Amino acid sequence: MADEDRRKFLKVATCAIGGGVGLVLAAPVLTLLADPAGKITVTTPSAPLDLGLVEQFRVGAQPHKVNVIAPIVKDAWMASRNVVLGAAWVHRTAPDKIVALSAVCPHLGCAVGWDAAAGNFLCPCHDSRFSPEGTKLTGPSERGMDELPLQVVDGRLQLTWVRYKPGQTNREQA
Amino acid sequence: MKAAVRDFLRERGLGGDGAPAMIAGGASFAYVFGAVLMFLLVVEAISGVALAAFYAPSSTDAWGSVAYLQDQARLGWMLRGVHYHGASAIVIVSGVHLVQTALYGAYKKPRELVWWLGILLMVLMLAWAVTGYVLRWDQAGFWANKVEVGIAAATPVLGEAIKKLALGGNDYGNLTLTRFYALHVMILPALVGAVVVLHVRLARKLGPTPLGDRQHALSPRWPDQTLRDVIAIAMVFAILLAYVVSMHGADLAAPADPSAPFDARPLWYFRWLFELRELAGSAEKLVAMATPAVVGGALVALPLLDRGPRRDPRRRKLYLGGLAGLLAMIGGLTVASLVGDAGNDELAKRDAKAEQRAQLARKLARENGVPASGAGDVYATAPLAVARGLFATRCKGCHDAESKDRKGPVIGPGHGNRAWLTAFIKNPSGDEFWGRTKLAKTDAAMKPLDQLSPADLEAIVELTYAETGATDVVSAKRDQGAAVFESMCGDCHAREEGMPGTSGPGLAGVGSRAYYLSFVGNPKSAFHMGPDKSQMPRFDKELTLAERDAVAEYLVWLRTATPAELAKLDPF
Repeated sequence: MADEDRRKFLKVATCAIGGGVGLVLAAPVLTLLADPAGKITVTTPSAPLDLGLVEQFRVGAQPHKVNVIAPIVKDAWMASRNVVLGAAWVHRTAPDKIVALSAVCPHLGCAVGWDAAAGNFLCPCHDSRFSPEGTKLTGPSERGMDELPLQVVDGRLQLTWVRYKPGQTNREQA
Repeated sequence: MKAAVRDFLRERGLGGDGAPAMIAGGASFAYVFGAVLMFLLVVEAISGVALAAFYAPSSTDAWGSVAYLQDQARLGWMLRGVHYHGASAIVIVSGVHLVQTALYGAYKKPRELVWWLGILLMVLMLAWAVTGYVLRWDQAGFWANKVEVGIAAATPVLGEAIKKLALGGNDYGNLTLTRFYALHVMILPALVGAVVVLHVRLARKLGPTPLGDRQHALSPRWPDQTLRDVIAIAMVFAILLAYVVSMHGADLAAPADPSAPFDARPLWYFRWLFELRELAGSAEKLVAMATPAVVGGALVALPLLDRGPRRDPRRRKLYLGGLAGLLAMIGGLTVASLVGDAGNDELAKRDAKAEQRAQLARKLARENGVPASGAGDVYATAPLAVARGLFATRCKGCHDAESKDRKGPVIGPGHGNRAWLTAFIKNPSGDEFWGRTKLAKTDAAMKPLDQLSPADLEAIVELTYAETGATDVVSAKRDQGAAVFESMCGDCHAREEGMPGTSGPGLAGVGSRAYYLSFVGNPKSAFHMGPDKSQMPRFDKELTLAERDAVAEYLVWLRTATPAELAKLDPF
């Protein structure tokens, strides 16, 4: 029986060494693969972005689609200039009020367009409709369109780009 | 339970017939090398997948993504090191595996096929290394590949076609990387995998060859041989990891630059060919191609030459001696090449410079990111890099203190600050100011204001200094200076925006960014020097607005800069 015990010990030792080698190999691999998950790999500017002169937005005009362009975006190893982050629908709803609505659909993130014939916003993916002020009219979206912070500096309109989590009733930053 | 699972699998075609695999002559540490190689291949595959999750095979991104792995992704350096040095380990262990096989006469009938498949695997391994080295798209990988493809291009008849196929067209570019990437991560792994399966299957079926003609009792492969394999694997892995940590991964040179000379050296396991090629002189291309063929041919021929059942090494001295000679030649040439480089001081200097450049590129990539235009442009993300480059090529000749044929005022750190202005006003035609211009030798040159009281001088300096847009202006002094200006300077100069002086340049905004932008664009304009008084060429056609603005920004920066700060901008 001594031989059997010896073999059993050898088997356990083999598995222990082999398992140890496997763990030592797996640990750095998994660490590396998981690394981007905990990082901001694509930066977007938190500073307000210029949309041009405030007068260009007039009462009664249809919502105007403005591309939100970041002067610089760092994407992992690369730094790119003038990157389009997304779009916003901007219009003057009252003489003293300008509204900017993120074109990202609050349902599942498709790009919302302006349906000029119907006079409201329409998401082409799942037919969610929103009023010119962004409130939900019909369709599967859980909430209205997301309003983006605006400010006027020296007669120029500035917009802060924010991404919200889609697919939920409350508005939460992504 | 265990038996039930085993039976379940066996009934469905998985698992052996239940009889344990036995090793003739007993388990031995001499047989571990195949298992170690298998393990190293798995290490390469796993680390390769991890690296592929970060790598981008494009000529603009490749270097940046590798630099990101090396310097920013957590433990990326370690996986790069394990992958890169793991390949070296494969080459070394393959050599030992080959020697063991030869020593034991394990290539003899009926194992010739196993031997030949092994030789084929070694060739594939080397091709694998070549296709991987270029992917990093740094100076080292780029230039090594250029030489390798150059040698392949010298193949009679097919050379040019081979080159175009390898590069994916007429020159190095995106398609070069995508092709080598496809070779490295898809085609070669598939090929090697298939050959390894065949090699291992045959070797297992035929079993190991005991040294000489000894025959021992059989011993089971599991766990007797497996334990020995695992111990060897753990040792090799420990050495590999220790080496990787000591080297902090693998090196990474500066981004590939076809215009920058680089002392290209092949991977160390090709060093012997590199040395041989140098020794061969004019026959280098022939030698570089023929030698691997001769060496490979000799190894392939070994089982055909050394026939018969004798396995005892002592009775096969001729063949083993030949093999030893071959390995000694390879080792000797490798050492000669490395020693030759180590004793070359000029090379060491160039290497140190290249390393400095690599470190700068990596630092800039870490801090600023690689521009979308490509990793080579990472240097332009250094502060004031564009302006420094323009200044060096367009301005230095006439304006640098060190320049032999300087024609204009010295422009350097402190240019336009209070001390500079004070010295200038006291003696405008001093050597470091206008002294070397043609204007200084005429009556139109500005006269020194050397009879000003110290207070008036300070006031006029402050007034002029205020025009630069500096934020530390003492306003009381500046206002005092306005009166002094009227009496002392107003006859020739004007301070109103856009107004030229009666006989001298307008001074509105002098030393500000807008002023420099305008001056560099056209110094001969009516506002500045006028058509006849300046020898400086206009740059508004030659340089773009953005370039002139960059130079203007740099000139403003110089006002507050110290020589040490300037030196920091130019690490070379």
